[in-house]
Amino acid sequence: MSTKPSHQNSQERAWKHAADLFSVLVSRDLKILYKRSSLGFGWALVTPLLQLFIFSFVFRRALRMEVHNYPSFVFIGVLVFGWLQGALSQCGGIITSSKSLVTQPGFPLTLLPHVMVSVRLFHFLIALPILFGLLWCQGIRPAWPWFSIPGLLVVQYLLIVGMAYPLASLNVIFRDTQHIVGVSLQLIMFVTPVFYSLDQVPEQMHPWFYLNPMVGLIQSWRDVLLDGNWPNPVTLLTLSVVGITLLIIGRRTFVAQSHCFVEEL
Amino acid sequence: MNALVKADGLGKTFTTKPTTAKRLHLSSLARTSRTADPFWALRNVSFEVARGEMMGIVGANGAGKSTLLRLLGGIGRPTTGTLEMNGRIGALLELGGGFQGDLTGRENAILAAVVAGLLKSEALELLPEIIRFAELENFIDAPVRTYSTGMTMRLAFAVAVHTEPEIMLVDEFLAVGDLAFQAKCNARIAKLREAGCAIVLVSHGMDQIREQCDRALWLRRGEVVACDTAKAVATYYEQEMREESLRRTPETLPLSTASGTPALRKENRFGSMEMEISGVTLRPGPKLTCGAPLAVEIQFQCPATLDSPIFALSITRPDGMICLDTNTRSARIPIPPLHGDGFIQLTIERLDLAAGAYFINVGVFDSNWSHAYDFHWHMYQIFMEGGSAHKGILAPPNQWTMKLA
Repeated sequence: MSTKPSHQNSQERAWKHAADLFSVLVSRDLKILYKRSSLGFGWALVTPLLQLFIFSFVFRRALRMEVHNYPSFVFIGVLVFGWLQGALSQCGGIITSSKSLVTQPGFPLTLLPHVMVSVRLFHFLIALPILFGLLWCQGIRPAWPWFSIPGLLVVQYLLIVGMAYPLASLNVIFRDTQHIVGVSLQLIMFVTPVFYSLDQVPEQMHPWFYLNPMVGLIQSWRDVLLDGNWPNPVTLLTLSVVGITLLIIGRRTFVAQSHCFVEEL
Repeated sequence: MNALVKADGLGKTFTTKPTTAKRLHLSSLARTSRTADPFWALRNVSFEVARGEMMGIVGANGAGKSTLLRLLGGIGRPTTGTLEMNGRIGALLELGGGFQGDLTGRENAILAAVVAGLLKSEALELLPEIIRFAELENFIDAPVRTYSTGMTMRLAFAVAVHTEPEIMLVDEFLAVGDLAFQAKCNARIAKLREAGCAIVLVSHGMDQIREQCDRALWLRRGEVVACDTAKAVATYYEQEMREESLRRTPETLPLSTASGTPALRKENRFGSMEMEISGVTLRPGPKLTCGAPLAVEIQFQCPATLDSPIFALSITRPDGMICLDTNTRSARIPIPPLHGDGFIQLTIERLDLAAGAYFINVGVFDSNWSHAYDFHWHMYQIFMEGGSAHKGILAPPNQWTMKLA
């Protein structure tokens, strides 16, 4: 407390502090998840691998699903949907389970959804090498359009955080949200082409499917990784607009409600 | 001199909330509880805390102290009034509440420091000093779940005082660690104040308020009763507590305790009688030789469950001079919630009082000293015999030696 920092400096410091806070919270959550398990981060891979195994066995061998490169096809779907599912099924509890942070003076609550979505992003990223290995085994080689992967990640991040904000604030006043979200995600997975292809769905149903942002997103990932094409810019642009709109509205309602969170805890 | 904390007409209401189902109209009976009166947890509270000043907040449970502390911390919004906090706020509200058991002390300390407002680089720089202050050099890389309560609190306190807040909010902390550590904490707090930190302290201990605070604010049912110098407020508060005990003393008080000592209502026996001291046994007896041991057994009857009452005992001379004053709170004896009959015993290894008559006073109090359940004043007498002193209070074993050069 020697000299008062100038306005410019304090602004800079606030950003730096938010970044530091974000990184310590993400690393805290990751450490807590895996610290005492002997498999450690390996657990982040178990679920997608198991799903990959089940889907490729059941659908290819038993149901004779006719999709080219089916294992990597299904693995992309499982990973991309898994990030959404992992994040949204947890976002309900982020306020109620971080009471000690919420009651800390000056703690930026708006950081919590970002922390949680980033923890799931981390899981997604450590599974990516396995996906690349699988693609390589199936004879698919990296192509220039793969450079759009960071863009896809950004769009998906915006979408998930945009959905996480309203769900998190809703769960504080209506605790059943968390359970409803969990059940709905299970259902949504079946109306999202995770383990089947949109081509197998009757043409007249397609507009309905495209109302689900995950459909376009998974499609884009498959275009890039399986076919080596650049993703459809219209799809990506639409998804970004949806994501940013959700994020702005969601964040607004979250901030407007945040002063009541404490009273509900 | 500008105030760091400036509260003007603060008020906070909590509506008795209908259940979620009702609020979302899931139930057709939704309308009934709509117009419930709001409950004023705080009403028209105004005060200021200047740079380097320490303000105590006193009041019974439910008086609004925690609500006020929360509002000051920016948690929740005041319903009425304005609040200005001109500085970085640090809080010692739930010591160690944010710690993660599976992470090490080091990881938790960095996390807590960053959450409290430091940059990670600053936290890393301060870490050695924090660890030294918490006296945890040998355990800092062990998971916090293996720590004792005392170790956890020491770490939490060390982090909080090292983040150099400009305004510090404290909820009764000084039960941290042993006496040496407490002294260190007090010294550190004094240093913070010298650096200009304004401190708001919630406490039930009037001695702590008197010794440490400059001013104090007394809340009762959300309203300010007094806001004055710490000494004055502590005195009013204690006086009111005595009156409260007196007021709660029922008209039909039993005329004597079970052991047959006569008790005169409101003269030598006070209290709400929610819990009763049914008898006091002195061992070996009321006649003692100087330096002999004394055991005082307090029998009690507790018809309804009471949460952690405090037992107190004092020895006074007939003129009121207090020779010994002790209680289960200051001795840190954990008292569980009580129900039914039982007894508690204080053993004094040797009583080195000068010859004469003394009174043993016993009492049992509500868990935050707000009133007495039962207090026996000047009802049990002891007589000390022998001892070399003629005047004075103490008669410890002593001998004169003289040497001529």
